[in-house]
Amino acid sequence: MRILVVEDELKTADYLRKGLGESGYLVEVALNGLDGLHLIQESEFDLIILDVMLPGLDGWQLLQVIRRKLQTPVLFLTARDAVEDRVKGLELGADDYLVKPFSYAELLARVRTLLRRGPPREVEQFRVADLELDLLRRRVTRAGERVNLTNKEFALLHLLLSREGEVLSRAYIASQVWQMNFDSDTNVVDVAIRRLRAKIDDPYPCKLIHTVRGMGYVLEVQP
Amino acid sequence: MSLWPRALSLRLALLFALVGVLLLGAIGFYLYQSLEREIAWRDDQALLGRLERMRTLLDDSASIEALRQRPQLYANMLGNRDSLLWIVSDSGQVLIEINPAALAVPQLPRGPAVQLRDALAAEPARLAWLHVEHEGRGLTLIAGKLLAERSQMLAAYRLKLWLALAAGAVLAFLLGWLVSLRGLRPVRELAARAQAIDVQHLHLRLDEVQQVSELRRLSAALNQMLTRLEEGFAQLSRFSEDLAHEMRTPLSNLMGHTQQTLRHPRSVEDYQNLLASNQEEYERLARMIDSMLFLARTEQPQASVNREAVDLHGLVEQLCEYFEGMAEERELQLVNRAEGTLQADPGLLRRALANLLANALRHAAPGSPVSIASQLCDGRLEVGVHNLGEPIAAEHLPRLFERFYRCDPSRAQPGDSGGLGLAIVRSIMQLHGGSVRVESDAHGTRLMLLFPLGRP
Repeated sequence: MRILVVEDELKTADYLRKGLGESGYLVEVALNGLDGLHLIQESEFDLIILDVMLPGLDGWQLLQVIRRKLQTPVLFLTARDAVEDRVKGLELGADDYLVKPFSYAELLARVRTLLRRGPPREVEQFRVADLELDLLRRRVTRAGERVNLTNKEFALLHLLLSREGEVLSRAYIASQVWQMNFDSDTNVVDVAIRRLRAKIDDPYPCKLIHTVRGMGYVLEVQP
Repeated sequence: MSLWPRALSLRLALLFALVGVLLLGAIGFYLYQSLEREIAWRDDQALLGRLERMRTLLDDSASIEALRQRPQLYANMLGNRDSLLWIVSDSGQVLIEINPAALAVPQLPRGPAVQLRDALAAEPARLAWLHVEHEGRGLTLIAGKLLAERSQMLAAYRLKLWLALAAGAVLAFLLGWLVSLRGLRPVRELAARAQAIDVQHLHLRLDEVQQVSELRRLSAALNQMLTRLEEGFAQLSRFSEDLAHEMRTPLSNLMGHTQQTLRHPRSVEDYQNLLASNQEEYERLARMIDSMLFLARTEQPQASVNREAVDLHGLVEQLCEYFEGMAEERELQLVNRAEGTLQADPGLLRRALANLLANALRHAAPGSPVSIASQLCDGRLEVGVHNLGEPIAAEHLPRLFERFYRCDPSRAQPGDSGGLGLAIVRSIMQLHGGSVRVESDAHGTRLMLLFPLGRP
């Protein structure tokens, strides 16, 4: 998977290149709009990450040029989260946006979603190690034993399982499970994770839910 | 562009001049009319008197012939260059004629009494005539006066009046101007005083006591405005200061911790810890900036809310689910007693209530209930969040909803909202045209959202 990052801020460009590279993507970086345009014309990319404020050709102009002939998904980054800016980007054909400062986990999640292509497959049964979740029957078992979860605990576990291996930020979890689309400055998510762990992880030797300090939580089998 | 001058003193002077012209004009017109009527009346009386004398002369004389022989009798009497006299017999024969202007003998209708009329001849004249019987024949006595002299006199008088009027207007303008300049001096002084007030001197006020009464109200209004401006300005600068201070704390943590770690080689774990700790501070900063931006946007005058009907009970239920875990950890019970529907922006309302709930959970005494209740009161809907716990000291209550205000500055909790949570609540309520209120005593603390009802 090839990703083009068009970003004039050197540090941002650098950590995006490193981070996405570590996640297994091939990353090209352009430090201004014209270089970006040049790269787009020369080779093919699966995703373009575009900063809006660029010297020379700005993000909006570049986006218009891209959309004239390409359907490559575009994720734009902006420091201004005025509603008009977001609407403008989406109207010009961008697929998603992130407002700076964004969390890296958030960016990675968006990138994965955009690269997944097509609607996500509706999975009804999840299985990680000896943890199983049956969406239709609303049943969770660990090592064959039935675990009773509240509605929100179930929703939380479902979210973690459906994004297995991805680090989910607290804000993202709050918005997905409780529809809280703002930072409420509380440790609600940590408390919920703690209670979920008490039911599905604590009694068992193999832990599945892991805290990634400074980023969020991930569900996966770790060696 | 208007011809009407911009200067108030000039305007007033022009108005003075206008008033002067109107008054002088009206008086002049009245005087002129009276004079004209008076002169006409006197002339008429003179003509009638002359006719009377002629008749007496005729009666005294033996015959008209004798009268004709002694013209000095009436010539003396007439004397003037503009007097006319005819005695005409019924047969049309002119018996006596004094006619310096050489007018034609006027043809006049015969009547029993004395008659008066203006003659429209080559030269305008006023005529009086009388028909008498003398020595068995009818005679018409005609006395007249040329009007030329009179019109000349009146014309001269008119000219004088016009000149007086013009002079009066100019004088009224100049005097009016001087008076206005003098009278508007307090305004100029007020302006000079107001000019001295700038950002550095916002504490200055306009002198209200020494002012003329018309300006006193203006000064008072301006002073009130200045007071509000000064308050707003002070709040703004205090806010910038607070903001800088609030950012300084996480930044100094970041710098200190990082520098301390970089002084010596450390284990990977140490570095990881440093980065994770830094990340927490960054998030705190990012949250603060988000909240600041939110406040700045909601406080813009053109900010608007998308109102829709919100089911209060349902919304609070959602929030209770969200805070359930936190409440249980502190052995608190969330009690939802909210009901009814409300016209509000659901996202903003949820955010306001979430902030109130987070605040209540933070300060509630362990093991006590935290309740959310709504009630109709005085035409408004009150949504209150109540918790038991140590009462907030009275001096903190009025400032509780200010940005960065903390009752105990030393007790900034790591998970707290950076002192902006309640400020956000207040600005959300301002957006909805409502307000916030707080009550705190031994029975607990209640923070309330007050929504006015009956408005779109």
